[in-house]
Amino acid sequence: MGAGFSSLATEKKTVTHPSNPNISDLPESCIASILSCLEPSEICKLARLNKTFHQASLADVVWASKVPENHEILVKKLFSEEGSSESLSKKEIFSRLCRPIPFSGDTKEVWLENSSRGICVAISWKGLKITGIDDRRYWTHISTDESRFHTIAYLQQMWWLEVEGNLEFEFPAGNYSLFFRLQLGRASKRRGSRRIINNLEQVHGWNKPVQFQLASSNGEHVASKCYLNEAAGKWMHYHVGDFVVENSYIPTKLNFSMAQIDCTHTKAGLCLDSVFIFPIETVNKLKQF
Amino acid sequence: MSSSTELTEKKVFLLKSLDGVIFEVEESVAVQLEVIRELIEGDCARPFISLYNVTSEILALVIEYCKHHAETCSGGTSATIADEDLKTFDNEFMNVDENILLELCSAADYLDIKSLFELTCRTLASLIKDRTIIEVRKMFNVENDFSVVEEKAVRKEFAWAFK
Repeated sequence: MGAGFSSLATEKKTVTHPSNPNISDLPESCIASILSCLEPSEICKLARLNKTFHQASLADVVWASKVPENHEILVKKLFSEEGSSESLSKKEIFSRLCRPIPFSGDTKEVWLENSSRGICVAISWKGLKITGIDDRRYWTHISTDESRFHTIAYLQQMWWLEVEGNLEFEFPAGNYSLFFRLQLGRASKRRGSRRIINNLEQVHGWNKPVQFQLASSNGEHVASKCYLNEAAGKWMHYHVGDFVVENSYIPTKLNFSMAQIDCTHTKAGLCLDSVFIFPIETVNKLKQF
Repeated sequence: MSSSTELTEKKVFLLKSLDGVIFEVEESVAVQLEVIRELIEGDCARPFISLYNVTSEILALVIEYCKHHAETCSGGTSATIADEDLKTFDNEFMNVDENILLELCSAADYLDIKSLFELTCRTLASLIKDRTIIEVRKMFNVENDFSVVEEKAVRKEFAWAFK
């Protein structure tokens, strides 16, 4: 900021007071500062205004407040294969983080929620520990577009339902919620018909609640019970619990589970897709999934 | 101001605008212009300081802003009341047309007045926000200097933001 001044008493009479100043006549640093006050989608829109705005929209100062504060750790962790991560601009880091990035052998995905600085994580059922998952009498594995991972696990019938997972991840500081994405009943097409119907015939054993648990290395430990049969026939995000991250620079360790191990009855007809972790402020967008 | 300060003579500085108008300001105002701080502290600010990039119309506004901020901060009121007062003042101060706003932003950048620079940037951002590209171009006389090919490329470059 600031350039060219003088204490000399020389006269300079060339007064130019433009009646119609143009916003792109401002120094590029000013335009970048204006852009940095805006949401990412607005910045990207204004990059199309003209060449000056486009150039300003690439500046690190614009994106410094948009990327997660621990972006250096995330870049190292998630873009490590490419080797060029150190030279990435902040805009490039932001745009790459906005697209889901697979990790842990494609069983997990992470992305930056566009409007917040929070990180979202999805964990496929393939990244969870599920009792009896490889025994087709209990569980079948179904390819489907209903899941972002294009696969779900379907519970045929079982006494002992137990699903566990864990994650160690450098979440940026903030408040997060964890969910299981489940559906009672299975969508299927009737032969000769295009209509998709939810087949609830096989569904039984859900009149007792399922127990959810979440424990974090930051000290949270929550357990809750939930009746799944109250929302049979549609995909639901079942809220397991919340956790708070204060330090973005150390990994947060999470353990979570879902269980219904009452052996007086069998359970059947449950679709298991994935576990989702979202920043709390973006939770109201869940219906998109 | 109370009359008991009569005895302590206040240091004043003369600022000369682009169009030759000279403004007399107290030290508490002058020091907010970071760009001339060294001149002031080194006592090299005589007889006056020429500010070639700022017109008298804008310099008058800048001085009004700095004066109010200096007075509020040294007024002896509690921090929260001063904060509220400055917020109200800033809001009213920003109630100017877009052209003045652009010039104030440019002047705050040149004179290196951080708080005024941030205030004008925030205000300009809120004016632009939620408007279409065409509306912003019209509002601020911006010409589209992209070729068709370039425009397409920029659209593609930022396509990820609109998914």
